Amino acid sequence: MISDEQVHQRVAQIMAEEFELEPESLQPDATLYEDLGLDSLDAVDMVVALEKAFGMKMTDEEAVRAVRTLGDLFDLVCRLKNQQVAKE
Amino acid sequence: MRAEVVVIGSGISGLTVAALLAKRNRQVVVLERNQKPGGALRHFVRRGIPFDIGFHYSGCLGSGKILRVLWEYLGIWIHLRVHPFPSEGNDCLTLRHSGKSVRAFFSYERLEDELQQAFPNEAEGVVTYLKTLRDICDSIPFYNLDLPLTPFLRGLFPPAGIGLAPFLTSLTKDPDLQAVLVSPAFLYGVSPRQASLAVHAMVAHAFISGAYAIDGGGQAIVDAFLSIFRKAGVEVLTGQEVESIIVTDGKVAGVKTSEMEISCSQAIYTGHPADLLDLVPEGTFRQAHCSRLQDLENTTSMFVVFGAVDNPASLRDLTWVNHYAIPSGLDILDVNLICPEESALLMTAPGRRYSDPALSNASRGIILMRPASWDEVAPFSIGAGGTRPASYKKWKSQSADKLLDQAKKLWGYSRIEPLAIGSPLTFRDKLGVPGGAVYGVRHCLNQYNPGAKTRLPGLWLSGQGTLMTGIVGASLSGLVTAGEIEGLEPLWDEVRQCR
Ligand SMILES: Cc1cc2nc3c(=O)[nH]c(=O)nc-3n(C[C@H](O)[C@H](O)[C@H](O)COP(=O)(O)OP(=O)(O)OC[C@H]3O[C@@H](n4cnc5c(N)ncnc54)[C@H](O)[C@@H]3O)c2cc1C
Repeated sequence: MISDEQVHQRVAQIMAEEFELEPESLQPDATLYEDLGLDSLDAVDMVVALEKAFGMKMTDEEAVRAVRTLGDLFDLVCRLKNQQVAKE
Repeated sequence: MRAEVVVIGSGISGLTVAALLAKRNRQVVVLERNQKPGGALRHFVRRGIPFDIGFHYSGCLGSGKILRVLWEYLGIWIHLRVHPFPSEGNDCLTLRHSGKSVRAFFSYERLEDELQQAFPNEAEGVVTYLKTLRDICDSIPFYNLDLPLTPFLRGLFPPAGIGLAPFLTSLTKDPDLQAVLVSPAFLYGVSPRQASLAVHAMVAHAFISGAYAIDGGGQAIVDAFLSIFRKAGVEVLTGQEVESIIVTDGKVAGVKTSEMEISCSQAIYTGHPADLLDLVPEGTFRQAHCSRLQDLENTTSMFVVFGAVDNPASLRDLTWVNHYAIPSGLDILDVNLICPEESALLMTAPGRRYSDPALSNASRGIILMRPASWDEVAPFSIGAGGTRPASYKKWKSQSADKLLDQAKKLWGYSRIEPLAIGSPLTFRDKLGVPGGAVYGVRHCLNQYNPGAKTRLPGLWLSGQGTLMTGIVGASLSGLVTAGEIEGLEPLWDEVRQCR
């Protein structure tokens, strides 16, 4: 099983590669929309990229909409990942 | 050359978005790679018999229904002779294993009666299924025209929600009834195990609410658009494959074909979304978006025999009845079941549905289809566009014989002469879809189809890969793209006034 720390690293790596973001900018308190410059068009691309990387589904629209910062995103992915492990 | 808007592709989505923008006084040019406009709606003629490729029947053409409303708004409707299937018309579904036949009528009341009679122990499941379809569609603006468009389109996650398979298996354990209820999947090309209940509802509901034929088939629709284009000054240039989209200062500045360059501030691309990546300069989209477009999964392909009988009267029974043979359970599009003895099959004769009896009675054309997988033709695919190996011809004719043999065994049609054959290779090359996917990109669970907006200012998407597939879906994708450019709700209000 991968640890929460490893999930954080992987999420940050995906964001850096897929959205051409500077690795230094990827701090937990960075907001996706203001600080990292993503918009609603990117949101779906982000979900698709994360789903693929982690082999899970992010179908809870409310939860994804509630994500403001990279830290929120780390938490959401960890939560989903742990739920998935619990199910298996 | 110069235009305000260039539409790339002249299928029903491109024609629709061009017509809508022209009505808003935009100066529009449509570019089409093929020699003739119409995309999947084109017909072709063999021995004097016209055959439709991508139009056999459609829903949403009754009074107050969306496609009719849209065509009335555009002035297309008056050019067409559209007529409903009579009340006896149906999709006659023969279950492969039990041999049982069920008539899927194009009316909720009649369909419910038929299903109750055929499956007397499953009354509750039948009622729940039909009610669920209606309830879902009642919350979708294209079926309930009182609703605004924006909230429906802005949902982030159309693929979320319930799968068709778990829903159906919760309703009934009867594999024959399951097969009957999943059968509309044939019309959007997604295996029921991957299908979403909402997408299924949209397609099934459209047909259960009424099926329609059009004199002259899909070609008549294309011709109707071309005739309004002549008045509106829309140019359609064929034999023009767009090879690149010109970007200046971070926005669309024009498009380039091998022969010409057109400057424009807006370009609307209606082909397969994955192929768009070859048209834009590198770096236009971020990696995440490129991967998403590249990884889109496609619908099933089909193997199609376009044939003819000597005696047109022998096709009389087929006029208002489409014959389907379907495997039980949820396997209607299972690619492991592509051998025609087991797979789903459709036999139809759309040419017999002309309102002029002289024409319909004389019509000898018949179309047979089964799901097909790319793997069947992969060995012959070398040298795409060029000459195919001789073994391909042999495979085609053997496969056609097997299909004809099935038509004989199932329905007694013994003397059908094959005049043309469509395989996954044909559809890949003629329709420009990867794998010969007859309905383009899948609309299913867990797949996020792209919307009309793109990251590049001035570039828009439309077509069956975006909003929805089929004549209705692709037309509505044209409406949505025009709406995104011109303002969604104002355009929606104008269109709805034609109810
Ligand atoms: C065998 C078959 C049977 C079907 N039966 C039915 C039916 O009974 N009822 C129903 O509702 N639907 C049916 N469909 C589906 C329906 O035909 C399609 O969903 C619809 O026509 C798609 O329209 P479109 O405009 O999105 O795409 P298309 O019709 O594929 O149009 C896209 C056009 O863009 C052009 N193009 C692409 N890239 C470029 C480029 N770079 N430069 C220039 N031109 C380009 C292509 O050549 C093509 O003409 C069927 C489809 C098939 C294949």
